[in-house]
Amino acid sequence: MRLSSHGLSAVLPSGWEGAFTTAREAPAVRTAAGVTTRAVPSLPTLHLANFALPPDRGDFGSGAVDVMGARHAFVSVLEYGPECVGTALFSEAGLPRHLTAGDFSPRALQRTRSGQAGLQVFFTEAGRAFCLYVVLGHRGNAATLAGEVSRTLANVTIGPAA
Amino acid sequence: MTALVLALTVTVVVLAVLVAGLLRSHATILRRLHELGAGVEPGTATLLPSVDAAASDDGPRRPAGVPETAPTGRAASDLVGTSIGGDALALRVRNVEHDTVLAFLSSGCTTCSGFWEALDEGVDLPAGTRLVVVTRDLAEESPAILADLAPDGVTVVCSSAAWRDHAVPGSPYVVHVDGPSGRVRGEGTGGSWEQVARLLADATGDLAYVGGPRRARRAAADLRREEDTDRALLEAGFVPGDDRLWIPLDTDGSHT
Repeated sequence: MRLSSHGLSAVLPSGWEGAFTTAREAPAVRTAAGVTTRAVPSLPTLHLANFALPPDRGDFGSGAVDVMGARHAFVSVLEYGPECVGTALFSEAGLPRHLTAGDFSPRALQRTRSGQAGLQVFFTEAGRAFCLYVVLGHRGNAATLAGEVSRTLANVTIGPAA
Repeated sequence: MTALVLALTVTVVVLAVLVAGLLRSHATILRRLHELGAGVEPGTATLLPSVDAAASDDGPRRPAGVPETAPTGRAASDLVGTSIGGDALALRVRNVEHDTVLAFLSSGCTTCSGFWEALDEGVDLPAGTRLVVVTRDLAEESPAILADLAPDGVTVVCSSAAWRDHAVPGSPYVVHVDGPSGRVRGEGTGGSWEQVARLLADATGDLAYVGGPRRARRAAADLRREEDTDRALLEAGFVPGDDRLWIPLDTDGSHT
């Protein structure tokens, strides 16, 4: 099953589904470094999950991470405006496609939920600025889920903005 | 005498025309009833009237060559389409833990309006079952009307491919997909969600479609009342089979 839009595409592995949303409002993001940035309306957000995505979701998965189980994983790839390209926050090159259990921490969650662990990475690929945000249903399954998420991200491609 | 014969002849001709008209009307009614699904044998997929034929004001909804009913048990297809806002999405209905109920509806279908309303008010579904409304592609629908009709909290996918993949004969049409097997457990259409819910309850054996859990809750309440009564009786010294629980009867059956 293939999903593509806005120059982003994903070939979804078995059990995974996905959906694009276009930001209607600009959500503010405060990073660990205390920098506040903001997604730009009309830029895409790609959500991927190995469970049924609920219809009402926030960019960072609110509404979805509340209903996910211990064996579930949620991935959000959010694009930020062109003014973010070249900034220090987005200096990492390329979408991280190989993740391990050690990459995840409860402290990386936007909203702390018991047992869950998260990952947040800002990066630039194809001249576009993005944030990768991943939530694992339970950190006890981090090794397995990190592998599953990695296999999913390996099939995500980012091209020039369409 | 000639005038009488002539009058009788005219009367007979008129009556013959009337009878012929009635017979034709009767045949039309029977044909329409057949089109509506009446007389379909139990166990076949569509037990309920197909509103597709009845809703002729909605224009043709059944693609040429597509059977009115499709065999239950066939493989379902994952959904690839867009949201009402035009964003791409791809949903799994096969090889997943949860079952999915696909409600194929349209923005222009008269009968669908009752379904939209029912879904907006909330319908009973088996536990863990996901409800997805599937419309045709946005190019074939009215996005503005769809946006008004779409119930809060229900996923809506616009995908003409899904209609083809599931051989949907017309709208409204509802398909229950078993997630682990990816096969259709029940499907059909009707004039209201309640009719379809009964069909799906028959097809899947799951009474949750027709408010089973609510009945179960009522039964649980009855059980709790029984337990409370038993507890009160035990605290008062009454045990099961206690003679004091029985009112002696006279030989003629009247109370003493």
